[in-house]
Parts: sequence; structure tokens; C-alpha cells
Amino acid sequence: MNRIKKTKLFIIGGLLSIGIVLMAADHLDAPAVGGTTADITDFYAFEGANSDNTVLVANVQGLLAPGSTAEFDENILVEINIDNDGDLVEDLIIQAIPRNGTMYFFGPYRPSVTGLNSTINEEAQYLGQVEISTGANAISSSANGISYFAGLREDPFFFDSSQFNAIIGGMAPNGFNNPGNDDFDGTNILSIVVEVPNALLGGTFSHPAGTGIQVFNTWVEAKRKQ
Amino acid sequence: MKINSIKCITATLLLVIGLTSCNNDDEGIIIVEPTLDFSGTFAQEDQMGRPGINTVFSATPDIENNFNVTIPSEQGAAFQSLFETQLAGLHSAFGATYENNILNLDITTLTTVLASDVLQVAPDAPTTYFDGTNVLTGRTLTDDVIDVSLILLFGGQTGDRFNGQDINNDGTPDLPILVTDGVSAAGETPLDAFPYLEAPHGI
Repeated sequence: MNRIKKTKLFIIGGLLSIGIVLMAADHLDAPAVGGTTADITDFYAFEGANSDNTVLVANVQGLLAPGSTAEFDENILVEINIDNDGDLVEDLIIQAIPRNGTMYFFGPYRPSVTGLNSTINEEAQYLGQVEISTGANAISSSANGISYFAGLREDPFFFDSSQFNAIIGGMAPNGFNNPGNDDFDGTNILSIVVEVPNALLGGTFSHPAGTGIQVFNTWVEAKRKQ
Repeated sequence: MKINSIKCITATLLLVIGLTSCNNDDEGIIIVEPTLDFSGTFAQEDQMGRPGINTVFSATPDIENNFNVTIPSEQGAAFQSLFETQLAGLHSAFGATYENNILNLDITTLTTVLASDVLQVAPDAPTTYFDGTNVLTGRTLTDDVIDVSLILLFGGQTGDRFNGQDINNDGTPDLPILVTDGVSAAGETPLDAFPYLEAPHGI
């Protein structure tokens, strides 16, 4: 066994001892939430077809096989948070929660309290709702310039997660393959999509990485009714 | 008049949805929705800003669980040092030490940036996770966030540090490929218009 091979074995052993589990974007989450209806798989934010809008996408319940009839959980509130001043505390929220096959949306609005626990303000200025799509046809709606969608979609995430698992399992000393295999090809997720005029999303601050670009912070949370 | 009143009362009692003749003009549409309950307190179970942060950097299930129920403003103080230890450990396992990455971020700065798990979004500039020019201004459906993350973590100053190089020219790679998973967005064809995501498989 040459030195390089020994080094590789050492590397693999080190990885195993560290116990790293690099998974999908967030598809296979922490034990407490992974595989539950509160499991967020991905979050996207990008400029809309109308450049005055930003599109926010929150996906939950990943790795659904074709034909799966998985549904949104009426006890799970999906909350998109927006921080307009860079203090990492939400200044605006957009909430989505299903009832009887319809997804209801509240916001963007300024929450009365921030943090781990939320309530829903039914008197929020911007309210919307859309029938949850269960098939190929994407049912959408709009109000106040905001567009809404909720339902089953193809998972846009792509990653050779099994090869990564092989690497950390000591089965792939050469690392990833070229080309790799997209383990998320052919799987579905439950997706919530809102396209919001930037004018409703509040202010911006200078990018914390020092690039000089004006940005807001955003993140998504899944919260269960107590 | 009396008949109309009875009709109205009946409509109300039976929660009839549709046309009634209260005004004798067949134009009064009364839509009666059942009362929806949005009350109560909702407690956080999962949180995500950037892709993969928790699953990559949290070394144990306990850390992963705690990260998901820590608000972003407290994540840096609680997790930056753990993340730095994790990233250093990954490199130690390869017999290497972290090398400043293509953004010239040292290990403390990089883990400080990443520990606060929020996504920056530019409303008035190109939105991308990283496109070679713009960095961390959003995340599109086709951004290769895995490769970007691998490059930032393992790519060193060239972005190409562990990419299957054949150092001794014997025709066999001497370094593993760790800066790309070999999967691109080529298989993804998002729509040009709302809701952008493709129709589900198997429907």
C-alpha cells in the first residue's frame, strides 16, 4: 500500500470519526424535525419575471415519490421572515397555513412579537388565499399585486447525495463522480410560492459581506400549533 | 314582502351559498364561508436561510436540533465557534488545514458569515447564490448551491483545491473530488412565469 492510499484511508477514517453528515440542502434535517410535516427542504428568493417583484419559495416534505398524496399540515405555519435593517430580527413576516384544501396567506406585515413563537394576525393589511394544487395544473391567485401558489411540484433541488454518503462511508476514496447522479431527479415536494412587489418588502441595508449591494435578509421557519 | 323575508331567513339558517331572491332581482350573491380558526400560538421547529448550513456544520444531532430552534440573531454567538471547529476538523481529516477561499475569507470570517443562517436578497441587483460576479444576493431555482458551498469550504484560494488532481502523473487521481458533486442544473427546467416550479412527477 503506497503512501497516498494510506493517506486516503486516514482521510476516510477521519471523516467517519467526525461523523459528518452532509445531506441535501436541508432535505434530511435534524432528528427532531426530519421527515415530519414541519421539515423545510429548501428556500429560494429571486427576481420575478416582473423585475419589480421578488419571488419567495418555501418547500417542505421532501423526497416525495411520484404519486404521493402528501398534504400540507393544518397545524404547521410556514413563516417567511424579512429583516430590513440587518439586525437579524424579523421586521416583516409572510405567513402561510392551510385550511380545507386552501392555503391562506397573511402579510407581509410587521409582527407584534418576534422570535420562536408566532401568532397569526387575521387583520393583517395584505391577505390572500389560493386553492392547493394537487396535480400538474398550477392554480394561482393574486391580490394587491401579490401572487400566490401552494401545492405539489417537482423538486428543483439537485445533488448527488448518495455519492456523498459513499464518501463519508469510506466507499468512495476518489470523492464525487464526474458526472454525478441527481438523487432528487424524479421526486416531488410541497411548495409555497409568493411573488411580492419589492415595494411591500421594506427597506434594505448594505450587504454584510461588504460587497456594497443593498439587500434584505430573509429566512423561513416552520412552526407547529401548540 | 313576507315571502322574501322567509327566503332570507331560510338562506341564512341553511348557509345557502349562491343566489337568493331577497331583493327580487336575482343579483344578490351571498357567500357564506365556514369560520376558519387561525388562533393559537405556533412554536418553531425548523428554520432555514441558506442551503445546507445546519446539516453541513452541525456535528451532532443535538447541535442540529438546537440550531433549528435558535433565532438568527443568536445563532452567531451560539454556533460560530462550533462551525469553525467542524470546518477545521474536516480539513484535518484530509491531512490539510483550511485555506482562505476564493472570497479570501479566513475560516473565522467564513464561519461567522455562515453561522447566521439567513439569505441575503438584492431587490435591485441580480439575484444569485454565486454567479462568478455577484455573491449571496439570493438563490434561484437553478443555482448550483452544492458546488458553490463545496468550493467555498474546500476549494481554497483557487476554488479547485480538491478536484481529483493527478499529482504524480500516473494516470490515477491522487486527490479526491470535493469541490463539485458532478451534478448540474441541466436537468432542471423551471418555468419563465409564476409559479416557476415545474409540474410534479407522476401526475
